[in-house]
Amino acid sequence: MTQSQDDAAVFTRIFDQHRNAVHAYFLGRVADPELARDLLQETFLRVWRRLSEIAPLPGEQQRAWIFTVARNLAIDSYRVSAARKAAEAALRHHATTQETTVAGPHAHAELGERLAHLDAAIRRLPEEQRVILSMATAGGLTSRQIGEALGEPAGTVRYRLSQARKQLAAALDLEDEA
Amino acid sequence: MTSPALHDLDQLLAAWAHARRLPDADAERIRQAIVPAVPALSATWWSEFNSKLSTAITRATSTPVPALAALQ
Repeated sequence: MTQSQDDAAVFTRIFDQHRNAVHAYFLGRVADPELARDLLQETFLRVWRRLSEIAPLPGEQQRAWIFTVARNLAIDSYRVSAARKAAEAALRHHATTQETTVAGPHAHAELGERLAHLDAAIRRLPEEQRVILSMATAGGLTSRQIGEALGEPAGTVRYRLSQARKQLAAALDLEDEA
Repeated sequence: MTSPALHDLDQLLAAWAHARRLPDADAERIRQAIVPAVPALSATWWSEFNSKLSTAITRATSTPVPALAALQ
């Protein structure tokens, strides 16, 4: 199949519309930024290959299609790399031994330290909470959109988000006002 | 002085999300790795262009009919 400039433009629109949400999802699932990027690329490679099927779909159905692929890829990555429990244990170990700062070198030291604690606390969250938190914050999705993407009721998403926030607030000794 | 962001979960989460979000340059690299380079103009476009150009050159260089009549 010869894919034209039009296809490239259509793909770019879909990519730009969904890339942050999909990337946030993978960050929540695998925590490893490099792996998250690889999985993001693999997801959208499949979008490119099936563009003629996906392009005519409404935005919400496109999102559902893309997240079905993303979920399957995340599952496959678990199978390939390690058992899920081992991955979770590694994440927790990483959180306690490498509280690397997520702020850049120019960030205020105190804020950087605070963000490092937050990052570690997020890594310790149960996966279902971590994914939703990542999609809501880094992905900018609403509870309804997250629910549609993950096949969960919006109420469940809101509850898990609330639980995640409570745990983070407790870990950082903060009041959660949400 | 202590930054207010240090004690506000929403602001801390916003800062965390900002640090974690995929930079635009990285996203563009991924996009370019997926979408193969397509020629600026398609082969069809060039074929049509050449055809139109040939027609225009032929018309421009051929002797008009009235001029042919005058020569006879």
